[in-house]
Amino acid sequence: MSGFYLLDVPEFAPLAAAALRTGKCREGRKTGCYRFIEFDDELEIERADTGLGEAVWFGCLTAGLDGKIAHFDSRRLSLIATNEPILPHL
Amino acid sequence: MTLSLNHAPLRAALSGVDHTARPTWKLRETVHFYRDIMGLPLVHAITAKGWGREKEQHADFIHFFFDSGEGSTIAFFYYIGTRQPPELVVPRGYMAMANHTAWRVESEADLLSWQKRLEQQGVSVSQSVRHEILESIYFRDPNFYPLEITRRLRDIDRPDATDAELTIDAALELEASGHWTNIEQLWRTKARYVENYCEALQHDSANGGKP
Repeated sequence: MSGFYLLDVPEFAPLAAAALRTGKCREGRKTGCYRFIEFDDELEIERADTGLGEAVWFGCLTAGLDGKIAHFDSRRLSLIATNEPILPHL
Repeated sequence: MTLSLNHAPLRAALSGVDHTARPTWKLRETVHFYRDIMGLPLVHAITAKGWGREKEQHADFIHFFFDSGEGSTIAFFYYIGTRQPPELVVPRGYMAMANHTAWRVESEADLLSWQKRLEQQGVSVSQSVRHEILESIYFRDPNFYPLEITRRLRDIDRPDATDAELTIDAALELEASGHWTNIEQLWRTKARYVENYCEALQHDSANGGKP
């Protein structure tokens, strides 16, 4: 299952809310201080839908990503599932 | 994986910042900026004959301190009769900005008040920027040293420390690989650390808190 973790603190809550509003993901397990937002094949989030400033937006996957970044700029984040190794040249 | 929460808890052996210090070759401009523009009281000055280190040819100097609140000071060394070495010229670019001083204020009103005060004094100040737990304004002193005034948006809590430990654990693994080039590699590696952390928590919970 692909997805991303979120530390359960106020500044990242808008990202989870925006992701869940896309209808392409769901709230997975919550363990301790971490939430997990699951998606199947791909997920696209617009920064405008999160209300996040760029400083938080560009660090919004800091709790961990199970997937791959297909696109990430100040306007849009696009994630896809992947089986690629993290360090492919090893 | 090393569950960092098992590390010995940090003990508060320090009581905050006493002072930070940097060299200056602009005595008048530095005093004017910190004392007259920022309004930080000049509270202490040391004058000395080169620490007596003759082999080092240590210049005679003034070491002076401005009060920056809560018992902290920002200090400067002025080395008499010397020229600024090229390697101590503050470089342009974001990397050199990592070496900065950030002062704390208590409220958004205080932050905006500083922004307005500095602008009125002709200092170029950034718009306020909200980070995860901080909101800050940025500016430079006459030496081009980067300065920041910031306020906490929330307290740092236990989850922040847990998350920081897992971030650093993942980063150390990638650094040791010698092939780390981007943040996506860190985020993907960290997901494994967080997953292991969560599984350990669930295991402990299923065993009534017994490991």
